[in-house]
Amino acid sequence: MAALANLQLPTRRYALGVSLPGEALKYFRYWILAAVAISFLGPLALSRYNDIDLSTWFYTANVAKWFTAFIGGGFLAVLVPNMIAVGLTRRELSVSMGIFGLLWSLSLGAVVFAGIALERAYYHAMGWSQGIDANDVVAPIGSWSETLGFAAVYPLVYLVYFTAGALIGAASYRWEGTGWLLLVPVIPIVFSLDNALYNTEPFGPGWAGFLGGFIDDWGRGVVLAGIALVLAGLALATHRILTDIPLRSKKA
Amino acid sequence: MFDDGAPIYRQIADQIKAEIMNGSLEPGGKVMSTNQYAAFYQINPATAQKAFRELVDEGVLYKQRGVGMFVADDARDKLAADFRDRFFERVLAPLVREARQAGIPLTDIIDYLRASHDAGGAVDQTEKGALQ
Amino acid sequence: MSFTVNLRDVTLKYGDSDALADVDLTLEAGKIYGLLGRNGAGKTSLLSLIAAFRKPTTGQILVGGEPVWENAPIVSRVALIREGGDFDDSDYVKAAIETGQIRPGFDTDYAYKLADRFELPLKKRVRELSRGKRSTLAAVCGLAARAELTMFDEVHLGMDAPTRDAFYKELLAEYMDRQHTVILSTHLIDEVANYLEEVVIVDRGRILRHEDVETFQGMGATLTGQADAVDAVAAGLEVLAEQRLGGTKSVTVATRLDAPTRERAAAAGIEIGPVGLQDLFIHLTEPGKNGA
Repeated sequence: MAALANLQLPTRRYALGVSLPGEALKYFRYWILAAVAISFLGPLALSRYNDIDLSTWFYTANVAKWFTAFIGGGFLAVLVPNMIAVGLTRRELSVSMGIFGLLWSLSLGAVVFAGIALERAYYHAMGWSQGIDANDVVAPIGSWSETLGFAAVYPLVYLVYFTAGALIGAASYRWEGTGWLLLVPVIPIVFSLDNALYNTEPFGPGWAGFLGGFIDDWGRGVVLAGIALVLAGLALATHRILTDIPLRSKKA
Repeated sequence: MFDDGAPIYRQIADQIKAEIMNGSLEPGGKVMSTNQYAAFYQINPATAQKAFRELVDEGVLYKQRGVGMFVADDARDKLAADFRDRFFERVLAPLVREARQAGIPLTDIIDYLRASHDAGGAVDQTEKGALQ
Repeated sequence: MSFTVNLRDVTLKYGDSDALADVDLTLEAGKIYGLLGRNGAGKTSLLSLIAAFRKPTTGQILVGGEPVWENAPIVSRVALIREGGDFDDSDYVKAAIETGQIRPGFDTDYAYKLADRFELPLKKRVRELSRGKRSTLAAVCGLAARAELTMFDEVHLGMDAPTRDAFYKELLAEYMDRQHTVILSTHLIDEVANYLEEVVIVDRGRILRHEDVETFQGMGATLTGQADAVDAVAAGLEVLAEQRLGGTKSVTVATRLDAPTRERAAAAGIEIGPVGLQDLFIHLTEPGKNGA
């Protein structure tokens, strides 16, 4: 983390937070490049055999949710021992992780937003239909404004996944062997909200989003408010676990 | 470098005294600093400091604030008296005790010492060795 | 400004068992301390609490006069180097060193200078290092932290003798350059004894002794001679161990022998020998002693 030289004590938490998205990007740069390339070139290859009526970026964006959760959890679990050992407090680390999550989700959301918009133009030029698989029916995303509206919520969604991942990461470090069990409540809640947002099953074990069937009718505003609320809850829980965390003893 | 018996600071103090006695440290001369001693012998500087404090208390060294430690002008005379006392205490007292245990008459010992002394040099060396 | 350490009535439990019980300990600023104890005696737990790696179950821990837990101005100037270090194994050695820069006082140039002296391969990944090199990397990071309280917990493990020697030398040089509080936790007592000013012995979760190193070194003695004579002189002294060979007996006592006792021993033909710190420590912490 070369970006950390010459920092000041009161602001080091922010400097660390700002440096982390770059670290993650550097670490996964080839994966990210590959995903972007496949998203644009995949349909081109498939179009030789099939009509294209599904948005590849929709799938890319879905995979990115898992990826984001993994980064949130993975980074936290690695940073806890390493950063506390070099004299960072848990509160400072919590703030750094918050900044990391915000920046990461905003940037990734912006990339996905641009990807979906570009894809719309690309599909239009190729004469394809940009749609999503909504409960086994292919539903076109729709007009420009509908497309942008569809894409605009991704930063928020990523932030939820990031925070959920961070919570699982913190819990797994805190309670070795049992912390991951927090997945049991967290996955259905997050998946159901995700499901309700797009009226489609999230990528992965989509059945876990079963609660989404009940909240489909709430309307987008209410679902978004629900997501914001869950986000706050996840962030608070992560902060509480993190600020109390003991470093594990070294294995003999 | 050090043996287990006496505390290290005392061994260092003894060594400095020996250096004063054998002339490698002159009266009025500057002694190495605590840190130099610590670095040279690889010991805690507080240990070296303790040795210096002891020597200052005994009047062998004196401190010039901000400059360093120096050998007192009368250090050699002071030490010579000490050495004489310690010679009797550390060398002759055990000798007498062991001789008594072994049943060696005092006259034999005196004869031996006189002979050694007349042969020259030998006694000087024993004396120095025993006192260091 | 180097840090003092104060533990007041500190207890640390893992589940039901006490790792530390009712520990009171005061360490003055700017000294080098040796922390001795058998495996599982509580050395690592004690250091983890002082570094705020853990929270005590009860009690108070002050470093530099302030509660250490979640205290950024303090913990940023406290370094606890655990055996093998705390690194992201997938990092390059260079990046692992630079992680230390999260401390405003970290001396990167010094870290590189040390890395060069100890021949650390900057372009290798941490996971590719041997145990010895890993320990060395941890030690280098600890020195370059330029902390006000630096603790090395068995950091010498895996280092070969020349590396250990060079490490102690560097530690002493850094200490003289910039007097700060140092705690060395180790099994190799005799190897570090000369570097220490005070010694703390931990045994079964308690502080057993805390003394000047000279007090410790002069604390014990061995008396060897005729069994009856030895028994007579050793009567009333704290006997740590005894050995017999025919009519000869040797006892180790944890008592500073005063002049009359020495004279009595000499008169009875008893040889008085020193007890090394290591031996003294072994005897003092013998299982079955101290009413476990």
